[in-house]
Amino acid sequence: MEKEMIICRCEEITYGKLVETANTYNCTSRELKLRTRAGMGYCGGRTCRNMVDSIAYSSSERISTEITLKYQPPIRPISFGDLGAVER
Amino acid sequence: MSKVIIIGAGPAGLSAAITIAENGLDVLVLDEYMIAGGRLLGQLYEEPNGNWWNGIKESQKLYEKAVELGVKIYLNTPVSNIEKIDDTWVIYTNTETYTTSHLLLATGAAEAPLPIPGWTLPGVMSVGAAQVMTNVHRVKPGYHGVIIGVNVLSSAIAMELKLAGIGVECIALPKMNKVTKESGNPMDVMNSLLHVSHMAPSTFVKLGSKLMKNEFMKKLGISFFPKSGVKMWDIPIMLRKAVIEIYGDGKVEGVKVATISPTGEVIAGTEEKIGADFVCIAGGLYPLAELAAVAGCPFYHIEELGGYIPLHNERMETTLDGLYVAGNITGIEGAKVAISQGITAGLSIIHNYGLSNQEAAIQAAIHHIEQTRKEAFIQFHPAVKEGKQKLKQHWENHRNSKKLEILS
Ligand SMILES: Cc1cc2nc3c(=O)[nH]c(=O)nc-3n(C[C@H](O)[C@H](O)[C@H](O)COP(=O)(O)OP(=O)(O)OC[C@H]3O[C@@H](n4cnc5c(N)ncnc54)[C@H](O)[C@@H]3O)c2cc1C
Repeated sequence: MEKEMIICRCEEITYGKLVETANTYNCTSRELKLRTRAGMGYCGGRTCRNMVDSIAYSSSERISTEITLKYQPPIRPISFGDLGAVER
Repeated sequence: MSKVIIIGAGPAGLSAAITIAENGLDVLVLDEYMIAGGRLLGQLYEEPNGNWWNGIKESQKLYEKAVELGVKIYLNTPVSNIEKIDDTWVIYTNTETYTTSHLLLATGAAEAPLPIPGWTLPGVMSVGAAQVMTNVHRVKPGYHGVIIGVNVLSSAIAMELKLAGIGVECIALPKMNKVTKESGNPMDVMNSLLHVSHMAPSTFVKLGSKLMKNEFMKKLGISFFPKSGVKMWDIPIMLRKAVIEIYGDGKVEGVKVATISPTGEVIAGTEEKIGADFVCIAGGLYPLAELAAVAGCPFYHIEELGGYIPLHNERMETTLDGLYVAGNITGIEGAKVAISQGITAGLSIIHNYGLSNQEAAIQAAIHHIEQTRKEAFIQFHPAVKEGKQKLKQHWENHRNSKKLEILS
């Protein structure tokens, strides 16, 4: 039940997959993200960021002097139209 | 170009805007939500002195005062990026780009989820979403719900739901897993609750907290904690039952709970169902510091403040020139603290702008933040003060290392 539970909704990454990857590689949350794609979907990790962090830090030490799951602009969804808009 | 730009029209941003406008500087406030007030909007509770704290009214007061002073407030305007080009902060929204030399980030806090099997079903929401639906939009999230996560916020919001005539079947713990951790451990939850017992309306909890000063009594307390829970405002608070699953066909129909040991292990064979048409998840709050991160602020993880905090000093200045922070982005606290931080940030901006010397006012404002913190009715972490102390130490270390860099 718990294994199939979705953690990253955008990329549909399960709790089981994340825990298994964290245990196998003893990885930081950044590595966990890169290995599974959790947090790399279109919401930019806004929903699962903390959970991915927690799972990683149950098998590796938390790095407290930097944000390990980097924020990338745009931090809010923006349409292609707005992004590429040219003055008319 | 506005003289000052503030991102976030919550209590911190609005108070800063008022302070700055009162001193004659132009201010532009940007907020992605459709109403000004931020998380203050949803708040509704009775303070120990019998006064009601009505967030909608408080928000309106701040908003109207700001508008009267000529502050421009653009709502429905998400900021997607900020960067510094030469000496100017450039603020990108979906359609417009703004520039300023003095930028205040007052983006508040966000809620952390607790994953429980079934938590992606329609009808499951964060406890803050239920608060906003009920108190701001006046829409019932359902007729009878279950709240998962026992903490200050969930008990405050449970009471608000009750006031609106919405049934709350119980507040229970989440099943322990690698994400829920302490929030699924009865002992840890009990410990954190004891620190807020002054605001617990139940005499049981009040009396209990006196008895439970020592570890032995605590263990005894949690072992004998009634399995059916202790009632607060007639809602059972269950420290010895955890939600192991949210079930329903296409939407929430209820939760499965099981009795747990004092350390959070599920006791087999104790499962039972509780019917519900909505479920709230209360996983706690963390500072929403995305923009400070893309700007390049150094960060420190401080548990007592709720998560990663952009490095700043008591004057609300970050390490980056012209960039300030105030409110819950600096640590999770109540709205009154956010207001006092907003005022302080406003004064620092006026001072640094060089219009007038605000040194005495800044010192008084910093003192006022501490006073407000001490008297706060709602406290999200019992050791906020220690957390602030840690931050101060990081600031000192950072400054000293910068001095060394210049010397060498
Ligand atoms: C769900 C929830 C419930 C709470 N309940 C209580 C309570 O009952 N009592 C209490 O004292 N405290 C409560 N708090 C704490 C609350 O954060 C503070 O009381 C206070 O509102 C913090 O003020 P602030 O101005 O720092 O942030 P907020 O009030 O959160 O305001 C921040 C504003 O910034 C805006 N914003 C954020 N990012 C962007 C962006 N990128 N672009 C544009 N706009 C942006 C938001 O829309 C928001 O309006 C709660 C917090 C949350 C999250």
